[in-house]
Amino acid sequence: MSTLRQTLTLRNDPAEIPRLAAFVDAFCAPLTPTPKDVLALQLSLEEAVTNVINHGYADGQPHTFTVELAADDRRVTVVVADDAPAYDPLARAEVDITLPLGQRPIGGLGVHLVKKLMDSARYERRDGRNLLTLVRTLGPAT
Amino acid sequence: MDITESKINSATVLALSGRLDNLTSPILEKKVDALLAAGTRQLVFDCGQLVYASSAGLRVFLGSAKKLKAAGGQAAFAALTPPVHEVFELSGFTGVLKVEATAAAAAAIA
Repeated sequence: MSTLRQTLTLRNDPAEIPRLAAFVDAFCAPLTPTPKDVLALQLSLEEAVTNVINHGYADGQPHTFTVELAADDRRVTVVVADDAPAYDPLARAEVDITLPLGQRPIGGLGVHLVKKLMDSARYERRDGRNLLTLVRTLGPAT
Repeated sequence: MDITESKINSATVLALSGRLDNLTSPILEKKVDALLAAGTRQLVFDCGQLVYASSAGLRVFLGSAKKLKAAGGQAAFAALTPPVHEVFELSGFTGVLKVEATAAAAAAIA
């Protein structure tokens, strides 16, 4: 069993999204993930990072935060850590995906998708930082 | 993401390719708003080359469908790739949006 760990530092700027996507792809490539694994990790990371970029820092100033990816055999753990004010993205009300078009709210789908695509999602506030930890065990190597 | 505009009969078709994410989705939103302002009421999103859509993209899709409906029009979605189909399913979009196998079929119901 081998452990692989990499950290990326991002600015609170939507222009960072392509760099995040490339980081996730490069990390996952040696693990030969299934297409669904790739989607789950790409999408969950983007949703978590977008939350920090769009809503984390209200002061309009540049900030940096980190994304850590670790693989223990085929168990991938993601930790997004930022020093923005305390905010638990997982505490959002569940989205009712059965509502008809006219009643469907426009937002709130990001966290819904993260919960669906990852095996577990956990939020904690520790040492002045928001820590969002997401875990997914990849499918059998292809 | 690239957007290519064309027509099938009276429907406007936007062929999307690449990634529809938090960075690129505002481009599509502006495009749809411009089409609506110019009188477009039948709009097809051809997703045959769209390899990824996050919630930011889904928000634009849902918002576009709502705006068209409010204007008396109709949006339809065509040729979803497996990852985009997956997020449509997980979001319940396949139940509320018109999804067809081809752009031509989508144009016929838009």
